[in-house]
Amino acid sequence: MEEMKAAPVVKLDTLSDVNDIGKPWRYEEDGLTVTRLSPWSAPGCHPTGCGLKIYTDGEDRVVKVEGDENHPVTQGRLCVRCLTLMDYMYNPSRIIYPMKRDPEKRGDADAWERCTWDEAVAIIKENYDRITKQYGRESCVCFTGTGREGGTFNPYGSVMLGTPNYCYTQSGYACYIPRLAASSYIIGSAYPEIDYACALPGRFDDPAYELPECLIMWGKMPLSSNGDGLFGHAVIDMMRRGTRLIMVDPRMNWLASRADIHLRLRAGTDTALAMAMLSVIINEGLYDAEYVEYWCYGFDELKARLNDPEKGMTAAKAAEICGIPEEKIVEASRMYAQAKPACISWGLAIDQKANGMQAGQCILDLMAITGNVDVPGGNVLGDVTSGLNEVGFGFEKGVGDLVSEMIGLAEYPAYCNLIMNAHADLMLQTLETGEPYPIKFGMYCGNNLMSCTSAEPKRWHDAILKSLEFCFTIDTFMTPSAQASCDVFLPLAASAEREGTTFTHYGASMGIKGFSQAATRTGEALTDAEACFKLGKALNPQWWTDYDTVEDFINHLRLSNKFKFREVAPAVYVQDEVTYRKNECGKLRADGKVGFNTPTGRIELYSTIFQQFDDDPLPYYDEPQYSPANTPELLKDYPFVLTTGARPYAFFHSENRQIPFCRELNPDPIVEVNPKTAKKLGIADGQWCEIWNQFGSCKQKAKLTETVDENTIHCQHAWWFPEEDGSEPNLYGNWRSNVNNLVPNFHFGKLGFGAPFKCLLCNIKPIDECLDTDMDEVWTKFKREDQ
Amino acid sequence: MSKEAYGLLIDYEYCSGCQSCEVTCKETHNYPVGKWGIRVLEEGPWEIEDGTGVFDYNYVPVPTDLCDLCIARTSKGREPACVHHCLANVITYGPIVELAEKMTQKSKQVLWFPQYKPLTAKGKFVPTKKSNSEGVGGAKVEVEANESWSTAAHRRSDDDHFEMGLVE
Repeated sequence: MEEMKAAPVVKLDTLSDVNDIGKPWRYEEDGLTVTRLSPWSAPGCHPTGCGLKIYTDGEDRVVKVEGDENHPVTQGRLCVRCLTLMDYMYNPSRIIYPMKRDPEKRGDADAWERCTWDEAVAIIKENYDRITKQYGRESCVCFTGTGREGGTFNPYGSVMLGTPNYCYTQSGYACYIPRLAASSYIIGSAYPEIDYACALPGRFDDPAYELPECLIMWGKMPLSSNGDGLFGHAVIDMMRRGTRLIMVDPRMNWLASRADIHLRLRAGTDTALAMAMLSVIINEGLYDAEYVEYWCYGFDELKARLNDPEKGMTAAKAAEICGIPEEKIVEASRMYAQAKPACISWGLAIDQKANGMQAGQCILDLMAITGNVDVPGGNVLGDVTSGLNEVGFGFEKGVGDLVSEMIGLAEYPAYCNLIMNAHADLMLQTLETGEPYPIKFGMYCGNNLMSCTSAEPKRWHDAILKSLEFCFTIDTFMTPSAQASCDVFLPLAASAEREGTTFTHYGASMGIKGFSQAATRTGEALTDAEACFKLGKALNPQWWTDYDTVEDFINHLRLSNKFKFREVAPAVYVQDEVTYRKNECGKLRADGKVGFNTPTGRIELYSTIFQQFDDDPLPYYDEPQYSPANTPELLKDYPFVLTTGARPYAFFHSENRQIPFCRELNPDPIVEVNPKTAKKLGIADGQWCEIWNQFGSCKQKAKLTETVDENTIHCQHAWWFPEEDGSEPNLYGNWRSNVNNLVPNFHFGKLGFGAPFKCLLCNIKPIDECLDTDMDEVWTKFKREDQ
Repeated sequence: MSKEAYGLLIDYEYCSGCQSCEVTCKETHNYPVGKWGIRVLEEGPWEIEDGTGVFDYNYVPVPTDLCDLCIARTSKGREPACVHHCLANVITYGPIVELAEKMTQKSKQVLWFPQYKPLTAKGKFVPTKKSNSEGVGGAKVEVEANESWSTAAHRRSDDDHFEMGLVE
């Protein structure tokens, strides 16, 4: 961050010559005010910071939303979740004033009463003071999600509540952080992202750029998810220019149909495949020997491990485990190794298994031994100043020595210490047992765990209701989680109402810094930064003396006080400075020396840090806990492999169900069943089914499709029905179609990471009920006043 | 074809099925739930040759009879909303003669020449009276009443004949 200069624009060929390229961050057009910004979607999404133009009328009401062609990566393009932003902001069910409810009446949707911000803050303060006096600040927990304003908003935990227990509640933190941890420990850098030229002024035509010849898309569908801030359709931009694809995915999705090679592995067996690819590349001598000699540590040990008859892996062995022809594994290994440059885009599937750290380790090894780390068109790294942009913010000040009380820190330091989070599964246990100490005060900040994030959601529900004396949330819409357990509801600003930043890839790799200044305001909704500032000043004023205004806080939290938000925000999109091969010029290490930021200064194919944490320093394959190979005795009852959570375009996790035009694209929860399997079971296309296993069951509507093979069932995740009765026990139908009912907690790996959301067993049968959504009801309930 | 005829050229090799075109069209034209100006049709996946793992899978956006090619936008020189927001950047707007030329340069494209409300565009039915009414009615011959009327559905033949409804 040397300079804050607006990124140059690269015009799309389909954009007309009449356009808004070069317009300032705010301008007038046809009697409307246009504000350009770079938000995280509605509230939630991934940190992509897509360019938006918000058109407001004389009453500051948004009347039009359009993609901003000035954004160097999105170039005017937008997905349905931002295109429907007006329907989100002006949705009749949106909550725009604070509300309170008698804790005795939790779960009663009719018991909420509107109150003022002052009253809401007073209620929160009274409970906070009483509870922390009796049980200590560690008795507070923040339930956090993917993020929605510049990050996951750590200061809510650190300097607002002063608790060490900030907690993403997905079992084994099975989203992004296992990959981030593997990267940090093995490469010494937060996250190697594929090089899609996002920070280069000339983008794909920039002289510094080289187009990857081959891209492996591994357990990721970025077109719909924009996972971790990668603008997914940049992959299509690359394919058009000539990049060829290898797809690693159990599902035959659209992107897989465009791949030269589709490795359609059995769900959960990624580590075996990755080890086999390493084995082929090393044993056939296709690796970059010079790169390995200078920049990698432990190559001989890795080779020995791969060739070990017991713990090793060959293409033939992997073929049997993964259910892919051996020659396809060999072909893919050769294609990747021989392409120059080549890159790997790795996704959520890596995180969602106990053996995922090893899958990540192998994928990093694949990048390293082929010499594709931090080169143009390879997998690029952030420099020594990047890293998750807010992890640990305010910890010294607000948490201090209490950090040692963090739930799970002693048992799983490789997890808790890395992300400064309480361990999800151990937090569940603590809520249930009150051990090692009781958790009494809760806050949701960007999390609807009962519908989306958490495994065994009913168990979390019961634990939270049993344990918490007080709980509040800040959100845009009522959620099943808040309806069940909150006593105060604070209204949250939507993206066009925010002041803040979006740094792509959470700031963990070279990218774009996006800035947003509010285009309008709705009701009494506040941004996360404003609410945190307000509550922080009320609950713990001693930690907020440095900030007179919210902007002072943003300047510190987002810009490390090196810049002033208001001065840099008009640039809207700022590209990071790109330096490739930073290991050669000392830009990866705090001491400024050449090499990587690891104990050996090299990429550790033999991980001394894994060893330090008592895990095997070399990759090994473990079967999923429940799988045809590991538990054949279960196949009698649960004959299918269950994988969950493939992303639709219409929704971001549990959000957008009340946005009519999003819901219309995907009105019902969909279970994908192969037509042959369906025929055998008597399931008709569009018929409702029950899917169940030893942990629970749910009901979804069948789509017969060859996207899944005959042995695999895929279920959509995060379903609830905002049009239904919100009171307990229905809770907007939260338990009916919730596939997390079938997912257990406490199935993570040695370092505490991973959960089997994508590799379980299940059975399925057709049912007689028709539970189809009535779109007329959704439209009538949720359309805007002016529609 | 008129040089003023405009259309949409769609590269369905890269249409990812994101449905941004559908939604931005609804927002732009204020079409409610259940009505669309463009629809993305899904074709596949099915295996082209069994056992090879090579699948046919295409999405094709089809403008409906409510597609007006965003006349309010295009009259100001802007491209239609679906073109602007298409995530895969596969829709091009322009004069059909130019798009047709462009279409010859790459396979897996489809060119649409949409018609907004085609029945309305045809106009209300108006009799043209172009035909010469004289002679259409036939020769001027006197006709007598028919005493031997019978149900025409019962075709007569000489050797096999009965009358329905008259059988006792």
